Amino acid sequence: MVTYLAKRIRYSLLVLLGVVTVVFFLFNVLPADPVRLTMGQRTDFKTAQNIQHDLGLDKPLWTRYALFLNDLSPIAVHERSDAAKQMYGYIQLFPVSGKYALTLQWPYLGRSYRTRREVTSVLGEALPGTMLLALAAMVFATIAGIALGIVAALNKGKIADTIALTASVVGISMPSFFAGLLIAYIFGYLLHSVTGLNMTGSLWDYDAFTGRHLAVRNMILPALALGIRPLAIITQLTRSALLDVLQQDYIRTAYAKGLPKYKVVLRHALPNALNPVITAVTGWLAELLAGAFFIEYIFGWKGIGKITVDALDKFDFPLVMGAVLLTAFIFIVINLLTDMLYGMLDPRVRLY
Amino acid sequence: MHGNEPILAVEDVAITFDGKQPFTAVHQISFAIGRGKTLAIVGESGSGKSLTALSLMGLLPATASVKGRMFLNTVDDTYALHELKDTHQWMQVRGRKAGMIFQEPMSALNPVLKVGSQLAEAILAGHDVTLHEANKLAVSWLDKVQLPFPEKIYHRYPHQLSGGQKQRVMIAMAMCNDPVLLIADEPTTALDVTVQADIIQLMKQLQQTHHTAMLFITHDLALASTIADEVLVLYKGEIVEYGATAQVLHAPKHPYTAALLACRPSAQQKNKKLPVVEDFLDTGVSTIKPEGMPPVQVTNAELLKVKDLNVWFVGRKEPGKPVSYFKAVDDVSFTLHKGEVLGLVGESGCGKSTLSRSLIGLLPVHSGSILYNNKELAHAAPKVWYDVRRDIQMIFQDPYASLNPRLTIGDAIMEPMRVHNIVPVKQLQQEMLRLLDLVHLPADAAHRYPHQFSGGQRQRIGIARALALQPKLLICDESVSALDVSVQAQILNLLKELQYEFQLTYLFISHDLGVVYYISDRVMVMQTGKIVEAGTAEQVLKHPVNEYTGKLVGAMPKLL
Repeated sequence: MVTYLAKRIRYSLLVLLGVVTVVFFLFNVLPADPVRLTMGQRTDFKTAQNIQHDLGLDKPLWTRYALFLNDLSPIAVHERSDAAKQMYGYIQLFPVSGKYALTLQWPYLGRSYRTRREVTSVLGEALPGTMLLALAAMVFATIAGIALGIVAALNKGKIADTIALTASVVGISMPSFFAGLLIAYIFGYLLHSVTGLNMTGSLWDYDAFTGRHLAVRNMILPALALGIRPLAIITQLTRSALLDVLQQDYIRTAYAKGLPKYKVVLRHALPNALNPVITAVTGWLAELLAGAFFIEYIFGWKGIGKITVDALDKFDFPLVMGAVLLTAFIFIVINLLTDMLYGMLDPRVRLY
Repeated sequence: MHGNEPILAVEDVAITFDGKQPFTAVHQISFAIGRGKTLAIVGESGSGKSLTALSLMGLLPATASVKGRMFLNTVDDTYALHELKDTHQWMQVRGRKAGMIFQEPMSALNPVLKVGSQLAEAILAGHDVTLHEANKLAVSWLDKVQLPFPEKIYHRYPHQLSGGQKQRVMIAMAMCNDPVLLIADEPTTALDVTVQADIIQLMKQLQQTHHTAMLFITHDLALASTIADEVLVLYKGEIVEYGATAQVLHAPKHPYTAALLACRPSAQQKNKKLPVVEDFLDTGVSTIKPEGMPPVQVTNAELLKVKDLNVWFVGRKEPGKPVSYFKAVDDVSFTLHKGEVLGLVGESGCGKSTLSRSLIGLLPVHSGSILYNNKELAHAAPKVWYDVRRDIQMIFQDPYASLNPRLTIGDAIMEPMRVHNIVPVKQLQQEMLRLLDLVHLPADAAHRYPHQFSGGQRQRIGIARALALQPKLLICDESVSALDVSVQAQILNLLKELQYEFQLTYLFISHDLGVVYYISDRVMVMQTGKIVEAGTAEQVLKHPVNEYTGKLVGAMPKLL
């Protein structure tokens, strides 16, 4: 298990480096002028040159790439100056020369061209909202989906199966923005007096008198809207995988041992049927962690998705780059966790 | 229980499948097994023997329904098995009063649970003990089925055990609640003969100590004769013979039983045509004098000369460079003369399939030489292989998996001919029909798909496909192992017939010593990648010198 993990981690780091490289070069060949974007439309030549120098755009491409990697790496080499310290917020480990020191830092993603705020802090502000929403949606979808899948598989061809299948087809075919609008309208408006939920709202509510406070109930409707499609897919995957596993010889063995049905299904069949479900759940979770633009927009939920789309609209490259790298990082971490989960559920996987 | 009541009494049981085309798989069969006795149900695939076994545990597929009466008698109770409905009702019998062992130890254990906890689970189902006590009992049962280091085995997963070891775990699982009836459905079919002998020994021993009644399902009459007190022969769902073992074997009443006994390849039939079931059923006689077959002239010309061949697989790898190897074929040398049949025997994992695959270039050779007609094949260029592949063809083991399900039989046979331009395109169709005729398949088979054929027919298709290139050397890798004994006889006859007609040379690989002895001129025995003994069939299989060969020969079940 340890060698298996070490191998996975090594691969993950390689993938991350690859993504960083691709992202860097992609954004450096895009035909948009960061100087223009930073300065607005009217500026004199000298100021433009200063900005160019400030952003490091006068240096050759490879130097910029090396500096970019240095900025992103948690362990980096930086100038030993107060200005640099303030800019990167590093902790000095030990000096390498008179001028430079090895430092420990958060990855530095630059500043937004538009607001001059640090990208890290902009993303950091939006991340908890997105994460909570994604987790809530997936927990709901996974638990309900697996349960429905089991019910459908055990009643194959009967009425419960037909209902579950039909409902899941509807769930899969419904676009998220439509589901979101529908849910917001029904539960947040028509049934507002019953549910007490609002059509829109974020994780943090602002009150004129008491100030900022947590509003978890605002999460219910967007999580429901986000969870519908994964729920439908997990139901179908669980059903088909379980039907397949229930045909296996070891299930017959389990019955021959005299085990009750619930034990056969939950202990012998389900763990063997979960592989495709895990793939779907984790893939979906990673995707949702990158932000669900439609849902965040409809419910006015402050999250990564909304920030990214706004930044794209304004050519705010550092922010977009930061969002892309964050997304890639999340995907890689989730993939690593998925591999560990496979290994835990199925001992045969640990061989590879 | 009153005195001499049997443990299991089956009365007029019929098993039918509903659905669009309802059919009856088992017709009105009745039998009984006494305490400590063994009844063997013998039959070929489709005879209904496994269904009969499954019906006793309520494990039939949902589309099947059972009529008739089945009673299981224990010391205190009588269970009317035919009245049990759902899982909950069956639970009082399954595992507790009747245990079952299945054919495929590879798939019968749950791959994601430790074997020890799967065993403990069975113990918990039948005993009123704590989990801790169940675990202890599980370890002691692993010891009872003679597994080495039971504490360690407890923590293993199924994929870490060999087939024989898994089957021992299954036996422990079936016996741990001291059932009155043990049902064994082909428990040793997937195992090597030496392992089979050990497993049978273990089952007999456990049966004696626990006085269990045993229902032993098998396709192998010889195996049945080594373990059973009584034998029941099933044919197309009907009992054709039922009686004491010795009587059934020595004085079979029904021609089918006689046929089953006769079509096993044996020493007396060497160089003769094997009788097939139809011969007996058509005439209704109980003995048939085997026809002689014209022998093929073995020449001194060396067709294939293998020298110091090594096929290794990379075991552990350090970045860039392999550091350890698994030597699947280890310094093997042999010569194959034109017109002869060379048998290659050995147990699973000995490297015989790897050897055959490397001979036709499906696996890379590590070192050594393969000379075919004085052409070097080891590390040969694709161009060389293209020509040689015409001459060396292979007939694979699994007639189900080795045919592409989406190609019609006609296309499957014509494809290699097209690749190698064997005949002009206009004559392809005609040539294909000729090949079908050659393997005794009807012409309309050309438009059908593999799933529409039986195992034996598919193996004929495989042979036709191999013959399409007009090869000189045929490698038969366990080509008759998956077939019923009556079908096996037909295919062996066909192979002999074709050999004579086209002056073919065979490398015949099998684990079945009887078949190899019947068909081969010379025999090689392979163990852990090495050839340990070689010589004429008579020499090697009747008077083995090597200790391992002796063990193999000794482990073959023989008719009493």
